[in-house]
Amino acid sequence: MKKNAEFLIKNVKGVVIPGSAKVNIRYKTLVNFAKVYGIIDPKYIGSEEDGIVACHAFANHFTIKAVYKLLIGFNVIQNGETRGIMLDPGKLLHTGNIYNWDSCVDVKPGDKLHITGSCEDVWLNEKNMMLFYKFFINVKNQNEEPVCNVVITAGVRKGGY
Amino acid sequence: MANISEYNVGYVVKDQFEGVNRDLLRDYAKASGDTNPIHTNDAVAERVGLKGIIAHGLFSTGLITKLFEDHLEHGKRGQLIEINIEMRGMVRCGDLIITEAVVNRIEGKRVFFDVEQRTITKVDIKDKNGNLVKQFDAGERGYITEKDIERGLIKTKEVPKGILTYRERIATPGTAIIELFE
Repeated sequence: MKKNAEFLIKNVKGVVIPGSAKVNIRYKTLVNFAKVYGIIDPKYIGSEEDGIVACHAFANHFTIKAVYKLLIGFNVIQNGETRGIMLDPGKLLHTGNIYNWDSCVDVKPGDKLHITGSCEDVWLNEKNMMLFYKFFINVKNQNEEPVCNVVITAGVRKGGY
Repeated sequence: MANISEYNVGYVVKDQFEGVNRDLLRDYAKASGDTNPIHTNDAVAERVGLKGIIAHGLFSTGLITKLFEDHLEHGKRGQLIEINIEMRGMVRCGDLIITEAVVNRIEGKRVFFDVEQRTITKVDIKDKNGNLVKQFDAGERGYITEKDIERGLIKTKEVPKGILTYRERIATPGTAIIELFE
């Protein structure tokens, strides 16, 4: 297990995650998301004609897309065999999250978001043998404007790497 | 609060939410796309050792962003620049989630906060003779651990029906930055 951790630390740290994820933003998706939080401001749930924007919590939506599409499908070659950076997604724990909207634009219905990322750090906590990954995720709209910069910290429990 | 001059170190923005239940988690799963069954199906959650469903970690994050959206009157007075949180404690159905942000620094038009999200998990209510009056999910499913007891997280208080036992802990510590327009 420690060998796997050492391999991943050496081979995944600093690597750009292959591929990208796309998210098409629909009016109803934004409204339904805001309503879960009891948000009633028309800025987020108003009519389609008047125009709305995504509430900040909507960053959760594309972050999860990034986790499912990018991170779980992130493969490397170890001893000549292809393997995922997480062998068992059931062992994955989302342990930290940063959302930064500095100089970002709002998400609006009709937007087509493009998500890419890189693995900035990998380390092992030898006390509990949990392997941690820190991923930088960039989310841009169809005009290449940033809508949110996300940092995900995820721990993978023993047996999951 | 109208502008930057009215903020000072120690100023508190606070809100609480007591609506975490199975229906809400199902709605959130659908809206967010996080359909991991550990958040909606007790049997699956039990199989992986969780003793019952847990709220999505990012669900609580949304309560922090909402706190600041409300505080900034939905973009009329300023904007949310960043939130940075650690997910330490699982949130369960029935939990009371208290989100509190305290100003620790002001630079120009930016206000920096320490953020803390605490959860109150009800365990049971007993009468003065120790007889069980009401048991909550945490009591039935055994959410309380030895560690919780060792750490002094288990507390009691008098309520109309008897003595309520509950766990109070920090589920999500972190920081936030807002920028005001004036």
